[in-house]
Amino acid sequence: MIRREGYRIRYPSTPINRMLASIRALSDKRKGKYVLVAPATVMILAIVLFPLLYAIVVSFQNIDARTAVGTFVGPKNYLDAFRDARFLNALGNTLFFTGVAVTFELLLGFILAQTLIGHLPGKRFIVPILMLPVVIAPLIVGYTWRMLWDTQYGPINQVLGWFAGRPIELVWLANPVTVWPAIFITEIWQWTPFMFLVLLAGLTAINPEYREAAEIDGASSWQTLRYITLPLIWPVMAVAILFRALDAFKVFDIIFALTNGGPGTMTETISLYAYSVGFRNFRISYMAALTLILIAIVSVAITFLWRRMSADQERMA
Amino acid sequence: MNAKKRTFAFSVVGAIAMVASACAAPPAPAAPAPAAEATAPPNPVGELAGQAKEVAASAVMTAMPPKAGGSAARAIELAKKYAGTTLNVTWEAGLQSQDPLLFSAPEFERLTGVKINVIETPFTELFSKAVADHQAGGGAYDVLNYAPTWLADLADGGVLEPLDAYIEQYMNKDDLNDLHPTYAKYQQWKGKTYGLWDDGDVFVMYYRRDWFEDDKNKADFKASYNRELTPPKTWQEWDEVCSFFTERGKANNEYGCAIQRTAGNTYLWFYEQFRSNGGRFFDEDMRATINSDIGVKTLTDMVNANKNMPPGVEKWGFVEVLQAWMDGKLGMIITWPPIGRWSEGYGLESKQLEWVPKTKVAGKVGYAVSPGGHSELAVGFMLGVSSNSKNKEAAYAFIQWLTSPEISGQRVKIPFALRDPYRMSHFNDPDYAKLWPNAAEYLKVLQEGAATGLADLGIPGAREYEEALDRAITAAYSGGDPKAALDKAAEEWNAITERIGVESQKAAYADWQARLGANAYP
Repeated sequence: MIRREGYRIRYPSTPINRMLASIRALSDKRKGKYVLVAPATVMILAIVLFPLLYAIVVSFQNIDARTAVGTFVGPKNYLDAFRDARFLNALGNTLFFTGVAVTFELLLGFILAQTLIGHLPGKRFIVPILMLPVVIAPLIVGYTWRMLWDTQYGPINQVLGWFAGRPIELVWLANPVTVWPAIFITEIWQWTPFMFLVLLAGLTAINPEYREAAEIDGASSWQTLRYITLPLIWPVMAVAILFRALDAFKVFDIIFALTNGGPGTMTETISLYAYSVGFRNFRISYMAALTLILIAIVSVAITFLWRRMSADQERMA
Repeated sequence: MNAKKRTFAFSVVGAIAMVASACAAPPAPAAPAPAAEATAPPNPVGELAGQAKEVAASAVMTAMPPKAGGSAARAIELAKKYAGTTLNVTWEAGLQSQDPLLFSAPEFERLTGVKINVIETPFTELFSKAVADHQAGGGAYDVLNYAPTWLADLADGGVLEPLDAYIEQYMNKDDLNDLHPTYAKYQQWKGKTYGLWDDGDVFVMYYRRDWFEDDKNKADFKASYNRELTPPKTWQEWDEVCSFFTERGKANNEYGCAIQRTAGNTYLWFYEQFRSNGGRFFDEDMRATINSDIGVKTLTDMVNANKNMPPGVEKWGFVEVLQAWMDGKLGMIITWPPIGRWSEGYGLESKQLEWVPKTKVAGKVGYAVSPGGHSELAVGFMLGVSSNSKNKEAAYAFIQWLTSPEISGQRVKIPFALRDPYRMSHFNDPDYAKLWPNAAEYLKVLQEGAATGLADLGIPGAREYEEALDRAITAAYSGGDPKAALDKAAEEWNAITERIGVESQKAAYADWQARLGANAYP
């Protein structure tokens, strides 16, 4: 029976009502927020923290195709990784790939954005066309470019042959001199438009009065770029760099399609190596150790970059 | 939350997401491919083989009645007890799986009431999915398709069910004797039988008979090399003939030879040539000897041979070689058996083989074992029963039926099926011998290839050994020093051996040599 006592309503003492009353009591004490975030927290713990902890446990075991139930082997997998020339080579390749690809994408994206920031006839058609590569799956891009780079039937060699006046038979994807440029051109073709779009948005947001004021003060184009445009666009640029760097660091699809890490291990990145170790050879514990080392590296790099960017933003503000 | 904490949290969440993706539970089995048009199979028979039309067409429509008391009949009787059951069967995705989708699975269901769910899987994942499922205790698969070199790992890992008791109880022993003696050696590991052989993969040297029989070619070759122009019997002869034809035809985009050199399978041609040259994989202490003088010579010869092959051959795979061969641009190739059938146009009208280029070499092809006299018994397939299967007996019945002389004899003649002869009854099949004018010669070479062939290294960690060697070979193709590349591969081989256990690997290697005998080392 519901009774009213002053401004309070008293409900019958059933289990459900007692539970609801407890929640109200928590709410009264401003603790209800814990109840509200609990489901999300439990979900995150279940699908994120548990795999992480499990991966850490597995990385100290010896699970592979022949050993389903692992035994504790201490830090052996981690020590093996730092002695593993193939892992160190893959790490170097990954850093090289990330550094070169992101730098070129940034420069080309910025140049494109600067070119298209003003009024340009047909701009509304040019920008969407420029964005097309980004919406294609990287694996498809890789296999398509693999055909373009083909020695005998690829149009790239054919076009070069027209200019050279003789047949060009470059084996782009197996020649140590040309394999990286071929990969970079493919990667930069796909992802420069992303950089361009983000930077175009950043440039569009800059108040034109700043540039006009600089012009009136007699600033050169370079000075306007250096002291007006770049500082104002930096927060956007920094986020774009971070996004692309993270994406490039875990590159798999394009290189898998173009070279599968070859010739030899010349273009093998960490993702390709981890795939080979874990999903082809089924060395699960070793793959877990490799992945955790990778996580440590990425975490440190992100922390450093984020702090640096935050500091820059605060300084500029 | 201050900036520092926020930054840390951001980093950790990002990192965790990567771990979650890398270490997630094994994926559920792939959904079966859409049901193929089994009700109205296309006529798979080529124009050239008039008599073959009947054979192949009947093979696709329904299986021939099994012989009473034979393994096929016994398997059907056994499977009928499990009518209504569904068996999950892994099979390599793509053309390979057209056999079970269009023929084997519907036919087995019609005969027994047991439904077959074909789970198409990329070749490289047939291994890892089987292991992942076993370790997760899933039982997602009943029948496993696997390469013979994985047998040791799968058996040691407990993935495969020993089949001896089933064979003893249900198989007609005469059918065991029908298996070619070489392939029979593969089915055991540590004294137990873990699989039934299902594909006689052996390299064949295909050559253009018309080029070799051309009078001008013969005269010019004799003038240049002071010997007759004949299909090469040694690797040196291979290089000479290849160089001769390349010099002659390069202006017309014709080349003396081509072998697929892209990463993935190129180690198979090294295995073949290396052992024909007298090489051995390990010494008595189980140290890798692929970087011996013989190994370095073999790899150096392979690198040099590329110069006479079409430009870009370093990136050529099976399809590129097939395309150029069918187009009549190559004098010699060394590859797997289906090309022999397709060269003659056998079954190329079928929907499944629409992608195969039209042949310009029909009636012009000769066959031989590889130079050196020993062809690689390259990869192949076996069928096993998953130890986690809940329907082991039904699964065994299915693979006994599939590999029985009657059913396998029909399967090796289905144009789009990629299973090749491996039983004596296949090699002696008069219907097969009539499929095209020189099919009998083809069968003879396949049989000779099986008898004198060289088995892939089949010890624990086989996949890792293969991949390390493959990387070394492609590094050498791209200009790296063959000795340095093989030294690196040998180091990797030794590391693999040490990780798995030197003594156990030594025993496994000794067992492999003892079982395979002359098919391990000639």
